[in-house]
Amino acid sequence: RAPSSPPPEELTPPLYMNHTKGGLVIFTANSHASSRELGKRIAERLGVELGKVQVYQEANRETRVQIQESVRGKDVFVIQTVSKDVNTTIMEMLIMVYACRTSCARSITGVLPYFPYSKQCKMRKRGSIVSKLMASMMCKAGLTHLITMDLHQKEIQGFFNIPVDNLRASPFLLQYIQEEIPDYRNAVIVAKSPASAKRAQSFAERLRLGIAVIHGEAQDAESDQVDGRHSPPTVKTTGAIHPSMEIPLLIPKEKPPISVVGDVGGRIAIIVDDIIDDVDSFVAAAETLKERGAYKIFVMATHGLLSCEAPRFIEESAIDEVVVTNTIPHELQKLQCPKIKTVDISMILSEAIRRIHNGESMSYLFRNIGVDD
Amino acid sequence: MPNIKIFSGSSHPDLSQKIADRLGLELGKVVTKKFSNQETCVEIGESVRGEDVYIVQSGCGEINDNLMELLIMINACKIASASRVTAVIPCFPYARQDKKDKGFFDIPVDNLYAEPAVLKWIKENIPEWKNCIIVSPDAGGAKRVTSIADRLNVDFALIHKERKKANEVDRMVLVGDVTDRVAILVDDMADTCGTICHAADKLISAGATKVYAILTHGIFSGPAISRINNACFEAVVVTNTIPQEEKMKHCSKIQVIDISMILAEAIRRTHNGESVSYLFSHVPL
Repeated sequence: RAPSSPPPEELTPPLYMNHTKGGLVIFTANSHASSRELGKRIAERLGVELGKVQVYQEANRETRVQIQESVRGKDVFVIQTVSKDVNTTIMEMLIMVYACRTSCARSITGVLPYFPYSKQCKMRKRGSIVSKLMASMMCKAGLTHLITMDLHQKEIQGFFNIPVDNLRASPFLLQYIQEEIPDYRNAVIVAKSPASAKRAQSFAERLRLGIAVIHGEAQDAESDQVDGRHSPPTVKTTGAIHPSMEIPLLIPKEKPPISVVGDVGGRIAIIVDDIIDDVDSFVAAAETLKERGAYKIFVMATHGLLSCEAPRFIEESAIDEVVVTNTIPHELQKLQCPKIKTVDISMILSEAIRRIHNGESMSYLFRNIGVDD
Repeated sequence: MPNIKIFSGSSHPDLSQKIADRLGLELGKVVTKKFSNQETCVEIGESVRGEDVYIVQSGCGEINDNLMELLIMINACKIASASRVTAVIPCFPYARQDKKDKGFFDIPVDNLYAEPAVLKWIKENIPEWKNCIIVSPDAGGAKRVTSIADRLNVDFALIHKERKKANEVDRMVLVGDVTDRVAILVDDMADTCGTICHAADKLISAGATKVYAILTHGIFSGPAISRINNACFEAVVVTNTIPQEEKMKHCSKIQVIDISMILAEAIRRTHNGESVSYLFSHVPL
């Protein structure tokens, strides 16, 4: 076993790679070229070539994956980023993983910086916990390890029966704040709803800043609405129920008008969240913050899904800058909206791959991460 | 005693409706949609607790999207305590990629045959059927074709590709005599239709008077429709495992055999615990 390398404060390629008997091979299973960018960057940092594979869709829309080199006995890493065809991205990955398993790879690690369907991780009405389905499918296909980043709900790790490394983007976002926002010491970290308050606090602690929380109407975005099962069932008729057995009904929640808890007057507001997809709630939050006196508004999120008209809405809104990482390709959105900036996180992904391949400890990558991050 | 509940995915709602109609049932309420980030969302709109659920979804169109929709629907029904969940997949996707992995399911699989419906169509629609010849467009389909030929008591022929040297285009060789006969090409699927169009040309030049093509699954991707329009078929007949309405607008030679009664009968028999093998040789009325 190779000795541990010194802490990689500054990484310069090529890194020291422990060439085990089989060696390692890194694939990207994306058919879209823009989705392969992150994989290329990671491979460059590690000083290896990407593995040769052909991924495409046939005329009848079936996905085909053809691996063009031997993976027998090797540690395989499959880097897969989500493109606009998320279901196809998933199939590409599953087929790739299964192909590697049936070709006797020693281990297969999936690198999915953004884990798809992570917003569908709770029961909604008569829905399905799709993240669990994803986890089952990936494990069944032959995945032996998963590297991901900023899972929407940490509990998703429990859906897998293989090791999951949930890396954090916050050190990179914090570094951006400190280096690129000149008067960041006059900033307030803002949670656009009580759900992201914990994350806001963990950022604020590390920057020694205050927080503010927005609460009120316009809160229920479709994706996080959990109504679960009505338990006990809502009483429809009174006929069959004995009065003494009536179960008290849950009082419906009141929706108060929008309010900001915390002072943003005369300050820079930095809204932090894990995902920025539909931007309605962010735009509304920015309006509110502007009204309450914030003079500059930033949005920092790990995963920039930015679907549909999001770039246009951001451009027209009170938001000054949106900073996302490159877990999800967003070149098109950047062209439509110059307010969008990117932070590169390929370094931590390549370091994770290196450590896993060499059997080294991963704990260094989790230093300075608070419990609530 | 559980009831039958039939849900339709978004791949082929027309076939699902026909199946439900034959069973005298309403289709179950379900909402399938996509979020703005293209993730599929499924919500079952009625109780399935303790019921015998059938989900109809064909592997056509945007296959990966339809497959994911099916998986999520199955998952949702299981979590909602359905007594049993059966997937009805008229055209099974990715079937061609793993020809060797036929036995990879751990659950019961009923692979129904369109053959009885095909035989019925031939007798009702081809006047000269008693003197026709059934042809396979490749050597792999010989078994399928002889089975039909035997049941109609007619002859069969097959076409095979001969590759003389590397880098030379394959030559198609007809084995059997089709002179002055009506030829019926039979295959399991029609995708880009290159092979069957070449086969049709071959049969005409070998003396066949008319050429029909009967294919279970009409995928018709890429240049398929224009190839058929330019080829010399009397008719190209497919079943409705895959929706054909759009394609029929662009090609008048396409005709459709309705197989909803076979699927409906299979559902009914499975639900009642009866034998499904009756359907391997009979078409329900």
